[in-house]
Amino acid sequence: MTHYIQDPALWALIAGTPLAATVILRERRARSKTRREKAAIESRYAELENSYAGSVHEARIRAEDATKSALKSAMRTLQGLANEQQLAISKAQGKYGEHYVLQDLLEIDHMNSQFGRRAQAIAVLCDGWLGRQRADASVYDVVRSAKGRIRHYTRVEIRSQSNFAMTGRAVEPVALALAELLDNATSYSAPDSPIDITTRTVPKGVCIIIDDAGVGMNEEEKKRADYLLSPQGPTDITALGNPPQFGFAVIGVLAARYGFSVSVDSSSPYGGVRAVVLIPEELLTSMPEPEEAPTPSRPLEAAAPENSTSTPGGLPKRSRKGSISIVPTADSTRAPARTEAETASIMAAFQLGTQSGRSANTEGHDPQ
Amino acid sequence: MSADLVRPYVITNGRGLPDNDQFNLITLVTTSDQPRPSQLDPEKRSVLDLCSGGLLSVAEIAGHMKLPIGIVKVLLSDLSSDGYLVVRAPVPPAQLVDVSLLQEVLNGLQARFG
Repeated sequence: MTHYIQDPALWALIAGTPLAATVILRERRARSKTRREKAAIESRYAELENSYAGSVHEARIRAEDATKSALKSAMRTLQGLANEQQLAISKAQGKYGEHYVLQDLLEIDHMNSQFGRRAQAIAVLCDGWLGRQRADASVYDVVRSAKGRIRHYTRVEIRSQSNFAMTGRAVEPVALALAELLDNATSYSAPDSPIDITTRTVPKGVCIIIDDAGVGMNEEEKKRADYLLSPQGPTDITALGNPPQFGFAVIGVLAARYGFSVSVDSSSPYGGVRAVVLIPEELLTSMPEPEEAPTPSRPLEAAAPENSTSTPGGLPKRSRKGSISIVPTADSTRAPARTEAETASIMAAFQLGTQSGRSANTEGHDPQ
Repeated sequence: MSADLVRPYVITNGRGLPDNDQFNLITLVTTSDQPRPSQLDPEKRSVLDLCSGGLLSVAEIAGHMKLPIGIVKVLLSDLSSDGYLVVRAPVPPAQLVDVSLLQEVLNGLQARFG
């Protein structure tokens, strides 16, 4: 036993054991501390990352809003100019109605309508307004208005007329949505193929069906179109690709805002896309009365003088009741028709009269 | 104020203006006995309504329709070629007579009665 005590290795062991324990303990404590620090750093990092993503998102929304409001005010100016120009063109068309210049004016009018539509579409995507107040109009007129806003409008054929009209509120948005659909239809089909529009009355309202003879859409394109058309569709204009494809996004925004629905998931009998716009009853009304009911023309004497037909100065005021034809109506020309016997007797009387007049003249006074 | 919903070039479907002289401002038109088709553009229908009471001049129709005269002429030429309208050409202006003929008539009259 004593030889162990004298063994320096034992003493070394005795001295070394607490030392080693201390070292190990210290090490463990350090490790756990590092672990804790690491966890803290990790959580701090995650926090930072989250707040970074949040602020990037916020910045994007802010940038989007800034872009939208800038574009919106720019488009408002352009829309105003397009409307103003359209009025000027209308005026010129009336002025040069008989001149060959009219043909050019009609072309300018067409281009101006397309320009106005583009500005309206971008304004809609930027939460702007369509910028036009319309009176109630027949479905047929709304469809024709839409037709006039695309480049190849002569390819569009309107097959049927319905006896319904749209409330003024819905006229412009539906016309713009239809124009975007027609633009797609003409762009994705052969340059000379016709685009057919039919209107059909359904229990829920009126359907406007647009058929093209194009190549149609594959499943992926249909899915994307459905997404863009749905009310949950994207609202940021930067997500529309480059070059941006406004069409479906504009239609989606308009449909959600005004309460009509658009679907493009069926295919047309011609192999292309069939787009169906369903206009619910709330947006429909009965046919508007024509502004100035055309009155059938009457003979001149029909216009009876009224009490208030003079100006304050005492001059007669011209009052026109409907259209006045230059010549009498067919009825009044038919009235003096006589039988042959009557005509003969009148002619005989005329002849007798002239004869007696001549003889009286020669008998009475000398003409010389 | 806003411009018309349906623009004039859509009403004519982009067709060029008629370059024949069938219609001028004082050409008179009226409806024929042919029954109207069930589907007709609203503008054409109002032209027929306007003319149904008697003869109307092109200028008057354009005034009532509030459309450029060129557009009205396209509508009228369509309607008349389809037989819904009867067109009466305006009375042609008097032909100018040869001055020498007038002189001879004057000479003859002077020789007879002068």
